[in-house]
Amino acid sequence: MSTLDRWRVLDRVRGGTASLLDPVTERDRERRRIAALAVPFLALALFGAFIPIVVMFRMSVSTSNLAIEGVSFVAYERLFASMLAFVPVLGDGVGADPVYGVVIWNSLWFGVLTTLASVVVGVALAHGLEKYDLPRQGLLVTLISFPISLPGIVAAFMMIVWFGKTGVLTNAFAFLSGADPGGIALTGQPSGTTLAILGLFLGYLYSMIPRATFLLRGSYAEVNTDAEEAARALGATPWQTFRYVTLPQIRPGIVGALILTFRTALAIFGTVLVLKALSVVTFRFNQEISVGFDLAMASALAAVFFVFTVVFTFAGLRYTSAEVTG
Amino acid sequence: MTDAADAGTPTPDSGTVAGSAGVVDRGTVPERDPGLVGRVSATVGRSVITALLAVTVVFLIAPVVITFVASFAVEWTGVVPSGGVTFDNWRQALGLTETLGATRGLGGQLSLLGVTLPIPTTLGFSMLLALGGVVVNLVVGVPVAYAVTRYDFYGRGWLNTFAVLPVVPGIILGIAFLRTYPSLPSAVALMVGYSLLKAPYMVLAVQSSFESMDLRQIEESARSLGASWPRTLLTVVVPNAKTGIISGSIVCWTLAAAEFNFSYIVYSRGPKPFSLFLFENISNNPFLRASAAISIYFLIVVAVTALLQATGQRGFSIGGAR
Repeated sequence: MSTLDRWRVLDRVRGGTASLLDPVTERDRERRRIAALAVPFLALALFGAFIPIVVMFRMSVSTSNLAIEGVSFVAYERLFASMLAFVPVLGDGVGADPVYGVVIWNSLWFGVLTTLASVVVGVALAHGLEKYDLPRQGLLVTLISFPISLPGIVAAFMMIVWFGKTGVLTNAFAFLSGADPGGIALTGQPSGTTLAILGLFLGYLYSMIPRATFLLRGSYAEVNTDAEEAARALGATPWQTFRYVTLPQIRPGIVGALILTFRTALAIFGTVLVLKALSVVTFRFNQEISVGFDLAMASALAAVFFVFTVVFTFAGLRYTSAEVTG
Repeated sequence: MTDAADAGTPTPDSGTVAGSAGVVDRGTVPERDPGLVGRVSATVGRSVITALLAVTVVFLIAPVVITFVASFAVEWTGVVPSGGVTFDNWRQALGLTETLGATRGLGGQLSLLGVTLPIPTTLGFSMLLALGGVVVNLVVGVPVAYAVTRYDFYGRGWLNTFAVLPVVPGIILGIAFLRTYPSLPSAVALMVGYSLLKAPYMVLAVQSSFESMDLRQIEESARSLGASWPRTLLTVVVPNAKTGIISGSIVCWTLAAAEFNFSYIVYSRGPKPFSLFLFENISNNPFLRASAAISIYFLIVVAVTALLQATGQRGFSIGGAR
């Protein structure tokens, strides 16, 4: 039975290829059209993404940094030993340098924090933009979407403009309080200090709030306003209406926005490179590649990073909004 | 009255199918009394959100304006600029003077087919690179957007997901390119990367255009009048989606011109992409000259936003911009 099935599948594959090249029925022609339409994209995805990623995985187990040769798991061993060494109790006995554990932990907590902050602000902004009669609403939308076009390095520069040593807010605050601008600047401080991390936090928000807002505006556009009006007419307060009518409807949108904004947060690189406030994974890539050319290690770290983002994106989107995966 | 109130009770109608009756029984239905949160939010909620909107817009836009103003300033040490207006920063950033700073700038003028254009080399080269990315995007993005909107087939959902979701972050793709295409000229690698990284914007823009048309009817009318399928696609369907195609191209072009993470890792030799020029200015040059360099990009974005408004798009808000 199963053998028969397998033959049938093989036949279908063979027949499918033949009918793609020389279609007889209208349905075959349609399939050929679909294939023709999808081929350019698939070719780009194959040569632009799939093959490079496969090579990257291969590179991460290479014994040489300059070519792909041999198989060694040294990079992964170092990476996982380092991650284990970072774990408080378990890692006490591990003699490895916890540097990779530290950068991964930094990426995660900082990403979660900035994601939560920007999605909360994003919900409020999307609510205001969608529900209130604001003057010049079109202009507001355009202005809030403006930073989406700016690369991370420019977002970092915007933070220098606000909070740097010569920054506008720093100097205004220093003028009012009499403090030294150098002591209260949020950028240009040593890496890892509270002020520097606060500056980086705002730099992340600069890039992430607009993205979160526009993801959530999409969910808000689909909210059933009749139900909200009914709730209000039946005496619910604005908060109750939001809590019991609006929120359940936009909840899948919020989860989707959390996932996609978190991806953005993990992948931010330019902002960290300019502000140098916290050693996150993306910043570590730069050190692996420009300081000592350790491509095997960079590839291993990139492989772990890639697998992590893919898994949590698809797992997350599967469980929340079916519309993204169709 | 009671009936109406019962029927109209706002029951959370989300995905929580299991136990929704139990939820009602346990009394999570809102109290008659709005409570403290309700009263506070009813009185100040709207003003708080409006204020948050205002603060956010200032937080996002004021530094852009300050940067632009600073690019014309002679000196900026305190809260406000001083020393009058100068164009020196711009001249240096555009590489129009023969100084040390200018060699770090956009450098020289673009020579194309023996004609020297008054466009700085780096800027012109970057614009062309980004344009190349857009051309690839058009060839790749428009057909795939049409396929997933018009046809129903096995694997359509996955194709759609991969087309609209940037699965690989720029920096990871950069590291993957290092070993895969080591001998490829930087320009080609950058163009391929740009088109791949920015494809979702094109697909989303074109898709929204296709979704607003009755594709099946348009296609069948053209076919029944005797047009072949390729002819229908090229002369009927695609021209109808021109709004989405134009706005998608503009957005892709702008984002590709400023792509940094991928460019930083992949670039090795040849003319420098614009984003790397911005990075050098930000990390090495004095504040005012860096302001001028960044202002060049701001001007491009403002011009592009105006163009987008003309095509009916509100800024860079396509599909929530992932």
